[in-house]
Amino acid sequence: MARFIRSVRDARGLDAVLVWLALGYLGVFSAFPLVYNIVISLQTVDLFSLASFERPFVGLQNYRDVLGDPVAGTVLWNTIQFVVLSVVFQLAIGFGLALFFQQDFPGATYLRGLFLAGWIMPALVVGAVWSWILAGDFGVLNYVLRSLGITDRNIFWLSDPNVSLYSVIIANIWLGIPFNMILLSVGLAAIPRDVYEAAELDGAGAWQRFFTITLPLMRAPLGAVISLGIIFTLQQFDLFAALTQGGPSNASNVAQYWSWQLSFQTYQISYGSVVSVLMIVFVVAVAAVYTRSTRHEQSY
Amino acid sequence: MRLKSCIHAVAGLLASTAIVSAQEVSLDLWTIDDPGEYHYVLAEEFMEKHPDIKINVRTVQFEDMVNDLARAVATGTGPDITYIDNPEVALFASRGLLMDLKPYIDKSEIVNVEDIYPGPLASVTYEGGIYGLPRGANTIALYYNADMYREAGLNPDNPPKTWDELYEAAKTLTKPEENVYGIAFSAVATEEGTFQFLPWLQMTGGDYDNVATEGGARALNFWKRLLDERLASPDTLIRGQWDSTGTFNAGSAAMSISGPWELPRMSEEADFEYRAALLPVPEEGATRASALGEGDNVILASTDNPDEAFMFVEFLYEQMPRVWNEFGYLPASDVEVSDPNNAEIYAVFEESMKYARNRGPHPEWPRISQAIQQAIQSTLTGQAEAEAALETAQQKIDGVLGD
Repeated sequence: MARFIRSVRDARGLDAVLVWLALGYLGVFSAFPLVYNIVISLQTVDLFSLASFERPFVGLQNYRDVLGDPVAGTVLWNTIQFVVLSVVFQLAIGFGLALFFQQDFPGATYLRGLFLAGWIMPALVVGAVWSWILAGDFGVLNYVLRSLGITDRNIFWLSDPNVSLYSVIIANIWLGIPFNMILLSVGLAAIPRDVYEAAELDGAGAWQRFFTITLPLMRAPLGAVISLGIIFTLQQFDLFAALTQGGPSNASNVAQYWSWQLSFQTYQISYGSVVSVLMIVFVVAVAAVYTRSTRHEQSY
Repeated sequence: MRLKSCIHAVAGLLASTAIVSAQEVSLDLWTIDDPGEYHYVLAEEFMEKHPDIKINVRTVQFEDMVNDLARAVATGTGPDITYIDNPEVALFASRGLLMDLKPYIDKSEIVNVEDIYPGPLASVTYEGGIYGLPRGANTIALYYNADMYREAGLNPDNPPKTWDELYEAAKTLTKPEENVYGIAFSAVATEEGTFQFLPWLQMTGGDYDNVATEGGARALNFWKRLLDERLASPDTLIRGQWDSTGTFNAGSAAMSISGPWELPRMSEEADFEYRAALLPVPEEGATRASALGEGDNVILASTDNPDEAFMFVEFLYEQMPRVWNEFGYLPASDVEVSDPNNAEIYAVFEESMKYARNRGPHPEWPRISQAIQQAIQSTLTGQAEAEAALETAQQKIDGVLGD
């Protein structure tokens, strides 16, 4: 006992305790659910066999069933569009705004703070607001477009299968911009001023400064923002629930929503797990890229 | 001596509390109601009549009920009595999780199976057993704006009786320049879409297990025509019945297909004369059908107090004549409702109840329902022809039924 207390005091024991605590936490709250999810995806599981481990093992049959479902192709393509378009536009607009607020003008910091309003709102509230904006017959957006004479017929943003996915993407881009902007602002603020001054003295124009200084020095923050953006986008569930429920006719269905539908609407829990396992594989790959990009954080 | 009497007194006290607690039976009840609604009100009344029975009411969100119940049953923490939506009874009954009430009903002086309408009775029947008692019912009918009928030169005393008449009326009543659609209904990709579509299919002779029929395609094409010609809003595809009827209340649709649950809000929001009519049939003389909604009071097989639980469920059933005026459901059995609210509309729904058919029953109902929803949605969005969409649905349904 005395030896134990001594070992904690001299910090070697304490180190071990802390490490084990962290490992224990990760084991219980991350590794176990992850493994459990994989196990479920290989068994036949319904609502009533959730609590027991004795379930028929079917191996990869669930994967074959899910990937063979005609909806799978639509969902995959929708998910790709949703992630790529969301991340590209969130990043482009967020970066643009970050650069804009980097300029010294009165009220810049306050305005930048105001942009966070969107970020602190729960996604379900955002969804409700956007569903009023995008409503077909009485939506704000249609009213504006018609008043400006841009269209003469209502666009059914949420119920037209050719449009509904893009409507959710627009709402999601809006939701993600503040996060991108703030993280990139922090990155921009960390670039030393004198580098720009030196470049300016050497006659570098604004574009040249952007491409030869800002962009290379922003590599790490950009990598982080892109990876996190992909992960957040793949987590986006509430907007689908509030706006289109994946419809009409799966036109705006994406993997994360489909997984939920399979698990909790038709109670095919193993199929829902299959979709989430496939998503985890992808997210792990993105996370690997993210950790690599943070390793270079101190490079300048 | 004093010590001894003291011990006696304590022992006596303990014994008496033991007797009291043995008498007091406590029942857990799960419901989708909020305080002030059906289960809360009636549990209070029951406890007043039976002070020895305590009922603990707990609200569960409607959409969480099946999941929460399944989880609770799996971990042995389920309630004694719960509300279950009609099509889910078979799911729980097939797993042996519900108590068969038949032996109790046979002895009961209050419950008489013959009084229960065929639809609600089918919803609680599974393989010969009776696994619950309906708390009430609802069904759908055609609401219409009598003022708009007059304005358009239609006779409000003669609402559409056939699909063709419905189409003509919708066409006459649609006024795009005023943002008024002829009709509102729901083709949303949830259970509500199935709920609205099944009667149309059933009127043509089909049912949930037989969807790929000529009549089914005719019904779907009829819906498609309403949308394609903009006699109904394209948002019909993503809007539930409540929101669709909201547009009717606001005067943006001249007719709406929905149920009696709309009436409290309609009486507040609609500043026009509204009436109701039976769902139109494919052609004169065709079989009628209507949807069956609401749910059932069921007792879980795991209950420790089946007798008391049945007493309560029986008491709930006994209140059937009150449900329309006090809670807004239609009676699920043939009872006399004295002085009903909205008497004329009540008469229509009461008539409609006779044609209301259960969804299923089948333990895998959600999968069957989803196949039907997908057929509706892919047809209405023009991704597939009605026949092909129904054929796909039939294959999926056959797969489920064959399992």
